[in-house]
Amino acid sequence: MSTIRANWKKLLPSGIVVAACIILPMVMEIGTHILSLMVMLFIYIILSQSWNLIGGYTGQINLGLAAFFGCGVLVTHFIWSIGVPIYLAVAAGGISAMFLGGVIGLPTLRLKGVYFAIGTLALAEVCRIVVGNTFTRMVQMPIYYVQNYNLISRYYLGLIVALIAVGVVYLVTNSKLGLAMAAVRDDEEAGQVTGVNTFKYKVLALLISAFLAGLGGGVYAFFQLTFQFVSSVFSPLWTFQPLMAVMIGGVGTLAGPIIGSVFLVILSEVFAITLGEAHLILFGILFILVVLFFPNGLVGFEHKVRQWMAHVRRSRLWRAI
Amino acid sequence: MENVIQTIAYGIVIGALYGLIGLGLGLIMGIMKFLNIAHGTFIMLGGYVSFWLFTLWGIDPYLTIPLVIVAMFLIGLLLYKLTLSPLLKLPHIGMRISNSLLITFGVIYVLDNAMTLVWKADVRTIIASYRGEALNLFGTRVPYTGLAGLGIAVLATVTLYFILSRTYFGKHVRAATQDAEAASLCGVNVQKTYLISCGIATALAGIAGVVIVSSYSVTPTGGLSWLLIGIVVMVLAGEGNINAILPAGIILGLVESASVFVVPIQYRQAIALLIFIIVLMFRPQGLFTKRG
Repeated sequence: MSTIRANWKKLLPSGIVVAACIILPMVMEIGTHILSLMVMLFIYIILSQSWNLIGGYTGQINLGLAAFFGCGVLVTHFIWSIGVPIYLAVAAGGISAMFLGGVIGLPTLRLKGVYFAIGTLALAEVCRIVVGNTFTRMVQMPIYYVQNYNLISRYYLGLIVALIAVGVVYLVTNSKLGLAMAAVRDDEEAGQVTGVNTFKYKVLALLISAFLAGLGGGVYAFFQLTFQFVSSVFSPLWTFQPLMAVMIGGVGTLAGPIIGSVFLVILSEVFAITLGEAHLILFGILFILVVLFFPNGLVGFEHKVRQWMAHVRRSRLWRAI
Repeated sequence: MENVIQTIAYGIVIGALYGLIGLGLGLIMGIMKFLNIAHGTFIMLGGYVSFWLFTLWGIDPYLTIPLVIVAMFLIGLLLYKLTLSPLLKLPHIGMRISNSLLITFGVIYVLDNAMTLVWKADVRTIIASYRGEALNLFGTRVPYTGLAGLGIAVLATVTLYFILSRTYFGKHVRAATQDAEAASLCGVNVQKTYLISCGIATALAGIAGVVIVSSYSVTPTGGLSWLLIGIVVMVLAGEGNINAILPAGIILGLVESASVFVVPIQYRQAIALLIFIIVLMFRPQGLFTKRG
């Protein structure tokens, strides 16, 4: 609590943004297009925070976020359609994604190197194929749900879950668990030598991350009532977009995924109109460039600019002026 | 009994293809410790190049192999120069691996969408005059395209073996694999060695693409499932154990085709993942390596 009180000046701008997100739809009419964009933005924020927890803070590359997301979508969809309240259905989606995380995490996180990345990639691909073969018809909610559809409730559920995701990541990274995760990322062997049970913390980080991704899937299931091809929720796109948001925003920071998601949603909105399908190629190239040349993303870039400004201010030239 | 022999024949034929896919992947992983996730996408690209040569000029798919090799070799050089070589500057080996994963994931995204733009999202395949015909061997039917795939896979493996064990370049590769720094002190041009082996690995992906397009089909996003199989083969063979890749592929093919007796055919893909997890749990060093 003391850290929150001490940092209230830092938290003020983000508090204003959150308050605006809560109040604005109540007081003024917002178009459905903007509202849907905001829901997608919240989903991206949830997914990228989830990826950042295991990939950014713990250093384990997860290439199968789509598996956890898709699992959340499917479970939420079917549990909600039998009449369970939506918040319980979303929670069930998160928990089922957590189980899936355990299935792939327990064998692969024991080993070093690329096995976790391979395992998650394989998991997502197998889920996509198996689900695609199982549900060959269109999947949709009963007509009663479609009639009572309103976007505002989707907006608020997305907002709440996004706030939960940010809050969970903040609490986790500022706890003992967060320290252990940083130890795993920076030097796993040194961590083991000093008595950190690295396997346990890696699994814990994965379970929390998968839970958040499952919640994100739940929000998507609430937002999207019909699925032409259910296997599309397991498509690698659902891994790539959040990963890209994290990379562009800044790996291993709390603000990075949020900034990256905003950037990505705005950019895809601008380019999708002007370039059509080709804008995805541009995104891929941008992603590669960021990984190669700006490994700290926009957050790191902002930090560099500040350092540079301070340097300029201290320099003689500035004093002369 | 006939059913069993047929299953075994099918398993060997498809297993050889699996081995061919694992070969290029294992080469990059063994030498540079990079995991090239875009390998499956390069396979699709090779298939498309062959498809183009077949439809535009009517060249027989198996005769396009030299052209595909040249084209994919050049693409491999580009891949190395543009994306992988900057990673060698990173100080920590773990960082290299994770960044190579991220970057090749980005390469998949770029190539997938580029291929969708150029060739549309349709399923493409080459139907040569002999497609569908089969050799009748003791009552089992082995399609000619499958036999050709088996021959190509064996030929590629043997060629790679001789290149690595009998040539000067192979010596450089082995030296750079064991200790890149010491090798460069002894006068081995490590960068050039890496560059050429990356080209060879991509060319191998192209060959696999030709085999796939002439007996199965290619789609822009179909690369991931082939990649998955390549990775399982690599894990079965053991990291860096290139000579064991073809046998490992054949084992996977046999298990997969035998699994049809137990599980419905549409869940066959899940078998590969199951094998992957079981191998990692009990023999993480692979089936063919003695110690981990």
